[in-house]
Amino acid sequence: MSILEYNGGCVIAMAGKDCVAIASDHRLGVQLTTVAMDATRIFPMHDKLYLGLTGLMTDITTLDQLFRFRLEMYEMRENRKIKPKTFSNLVSSTLYGKRFGPYFSEPVIAGLDKDNKPFLCSMDLLGCIAEADDFAVAGTCAESLLGTCETFYRPNLEPEDLFETVSQSLLAALDRDCISGWGAVVHIITKDGVTTRELDGRMD
Amino acid sequence: MRNFDFLDAEYAISGTRSDEARVSPDAIDLGLSNSLVVPQVDRPSSFLRDAFANVPEKDRIRFAHGTTTLAFSFKGGIIVAVDSRASMGQYIGSGTVKKIIEINPYLLGTMAGGAADCSFWERDLGRRCKLYELRNKERISVAAASKLLANTVYYYKGMGLSMGTMICGWDKTGPSIFYVDSDGTRLKGKMFSVGSGSTFAYGVLDQGYSYDMSDEEAITLGQKSIYHATHRDAASGGVINLYHVKEDGWVKISSEDMMVQHRARMAQIKAENETSAAVVAEPAAA
Amino acid sequence: MSVLRPNASVMGLPYTAPGNAPRGFTLGEHVDPEDPLEVGNSSNPHGKPRAIGPMGRRFQPYKNNGGTVVAVSGKDYSVIASDTRLGSGYSVPSRNVSRIIKLTDKCVLASSGMQSDIAVLHKVLRIRLTQYQYAHHQEMSLTAISQMLSTMLYYRRFQPYYTFNVLGGIDAEGHGWSYSYDAIGSHEKVRAVCSGTGQNLLQPILDNQVEFRQTAPEKKPEELSLEPCVELVKDAFTSAGERDIYTGDIVELAKVTAKGVEIEKFELRSD
Repeated sequence: MSILEYNGGCVIAMAGKDCVAIASDHRLGVQLTTVAMDATRIFPMHDKLYLGLTGLMTDITTLDQLFRFRLEMYEMRENRKIKPKTFSNLVSSTLYGKRFGPYFSEPVIAGLDKDNKPFLCSMDLLGCIAEADDFAVAGTCAESLLGTCETFYRPNLEPEDLFETVSQSLLAALDRDCISGWGAVVHIITKDGVTTRELDGRMD
Repeated sequence: MRNFDFLDAEYAISGTRSDEARVSPDAIDLGLSNSLVVPQVDRPSSFLRDAFANVPEKDRIRFAHGTTTLAFSFKGGIIVAVDSRASMGQYIGSGTVKKIIEINPYLLGTMAGGAADCSFWERDLGRRCKLYELRNKERISVAAASKLLANTVYYYKGMGLSMGTMICGWDKTGPSIFYVDSDGTRLKGKMFSVGSGSTFAYGVLDQGYSYDMSDEEAITLGQKSIYHATHRDAASGGVINLYHVKEDGWVKISSEDMMVQHRARMAQIKAENETSAAVVAEPAAA
Repeated sequence: MSVLRPNASVMGLPYTAPGNAPRGFTLGEHVDPEDPLEVGNSSNPHGKPRAIGPMGRRFQPYKNNGGTVVAVSGKDYSVIASDTRLGSGYSVPSRNVSRIIKLTDKCVLASSGMQSDIAVLHKVLRIRLTQYQYAHHQEMSLTAISQMLSTMLYYRRFQPYYTFNVLGGIDAEGHGWSYSYDAIGSHEKVRAVCSGTGQNLLQPILDNQVEFRQTAPEKKPEELSLEPCVELVKDAFTSAGERDIYTGDIVELAKVTAKGVEIEKFELRSD
C-alpha cells in the first residue's frame, strides 16, 4: 500500500455560479483499521479560501499549521487577505521546497477571488498545480470522484444545486472505496459566507 | 519454386489427416475434460506469481478478497454470520456478495479468501456430497464432507489457492463446525471467525458468548459481532447475512444492511447519554 | 546515461534491485521497456533493460489491452456496452476491435482485458453453445450460460484467461439480469456492473443512477426503463472517454429485449 493511502481519505471541490464547494470524508485509518471517524482534512485559510489536504495525516496536520503560520505572516506584512491564486503558489512552492523528501499530501484549494469568481486547483505531492474551472479531486478514490464529477457536473450551479451535486458525487465514490468514508462534510463558500453541512454516509 | 504442401499436413484439421496434425481445433481447450488446466511451463505452481510479480497493481489480475465471517455453536445449534463485501485492493468489487454457500439443506460453507476458489470448490463439494448420499443411502457427516474439501485443497497446495472456510452442519453426532483452509488445515471447534475483520468479531463474540444462550440472544450476538467488524475493518462491510443450523437443517434468519444495526446502536447511545445527563443534572437541581 | 528517477519509496513503488529480480521462464518474447501496460515493466525503475541471468528474457504471457465493458439490466431488458479501442502502452493499434459477442438471442457477453484471451474465450464459448444446441435442441438459458462461463474461467485457475467479463441478458421469466465476473470465474448476479480500465470511473455512476444507492429508500425513483438506461450508459461512457486513455473511439451497445438483440454504435472522442 502506498504511503499516500496509509490513512485513507479524499477531498473534492467544485465550482458553481459565484460559489464554490469543497467536501471531504471523515475517516482516519491505519491501513485497513479505522481509527477515527471525525477526522478533519479541510481547513479554512480565510473566509473565502479553504484548503483540503489528502494523504498522510501527520503531514496534513503539519502542513495545516505551516500554512496558517505563513498566512498570518503574510496578512501582517501585507495587511490584506491572500488571493486564492497567490495562495496556490505559496502551497506549490512550499511542497516543491521538499522536492527530495516530500510531504505525502495532495492538496486541493477552493476559494473565491476578489470578484467572487470561483478558484479551484489540485496539486500532486511535489506541488505541480492543476488549475480547473469545473472540479478538482484528490485522495484514495480520486479516479471514482473524477468519474462521478465528469457525469454529474453542470456549469453555473446555484449553491443549493451545487451542494446536491457535490454530495452525490462524493457519496457515490466513497461507497466504492474501502479506505474512505465514515461520514462526510461539505462546505459551500459564497460571497455572503460559508455554509457547512454534515453528510450521513455509510459507516462501513 | 518451393513446395508448400507440407503445410497442409502441419495445419490440417484433425479428422482429415489426424495422424499428421499438430495444430488442430483440439489444441484449444474447451473445458470439457472436467479438470483444471495446468500451465505448460517449467514451474507451473509459480506461473501466476511469476507472471504478475512486477506488474503495477492496476494491471494485476485481481481476485475478490477481504472478509469477516464467523460461526459458533451453542445450545440451540450453530449460528453462521458473514458480511458481504468483496474488496479488490482498496476498491470495493461488490457490496452484496453471498458469503454463506448453501452446500445442501444440511450443510453450509463460508467464504473467505479468494471468492472464486471458495465458490467453485464448495459447489464441487455439494456435488460430491450428493454422490456420497446416492451411493451410501445416507447423508454425509460434516466431518467427512469437510475432509473431502480439505483433501482437495491439499492436493493443490502451493499452487496459490486461497480460502479459509467453515463447514457447518448437523449430522448423527449433532452440530459441528470444521475450519478448513487452503494450507490444508482442518480443525474441529466450537467457535471460529475468519477474515481480515475476524479480530474485531472475536472481541465481541468472546465477551457475549455463553453456551446456554437462547436462539434470539445467539442471533443478536452474531449480528453484533459482524456489525462491529464491518464498522472498524475497512475490508468488511455491506449486508449482514445470518443463518441458523438446527437439527432439521439450516434456516436463513436475516439479511440486513449493517447501517440498520449502526443506527440502532447510535440511537441507544444517544438515549443512554440523555438519561445519564438527567441523572447528573438532578442533584444539581436539588 | 543517468535517468531522473523519482525516489522509489516516495512514489510507493516496490523497488527490486536488478540482481534480486525473481527468475522467470525461459521462453523469449519482445518486451517494450517503455510500455506501461507491458506486464513486468514496473520492476524496471532505472529505465534500463532488466538484468536477467543466463535464463534469458522473462516470459511475459499477459498484457492488458484496456477497454471498458458495462452491463445494465432492468425489468425486461438488458443493455451491454463496450468501447472498441484496443490499447497497447501509449499507442492505439486499433480503433475498431469488437469486444462484444452475441451468445444467443437473449444473451450478450462483453469482455475486456487481453485481446488474444478474449478472442479464444469467445471462440470456445461459441463452440460450447453450438455443442449444447446440437445435444439438447434448444438454446442455452442465461443462468446456464452464466454458470458455464464461471466454470470455464475457473478451469483455467492456474493459467487464467486475462479477461474481465460482464454478461447481460434476459432469463426464462423475461427479467433482465447482469452478471459480473473476475478473471477466474467468481461471479455475481447484479443490476448494473462495469469492468475494465474504466471500472473505477464508471461503477459509482451506475450505483448512483441505476440502483440509487445514495438515495434514501423513501425517495427512490422508479426503476429505469430501456431508453433512459441507454442514455445513461452513453453519458457514462462519454465521461470515461474523457478521463481514461484506454477507453474511446466507438461504443458498441447491445440492447437485449424479448424481441431479440439490437446493436447500435455511437462515437466517443478518438484522441
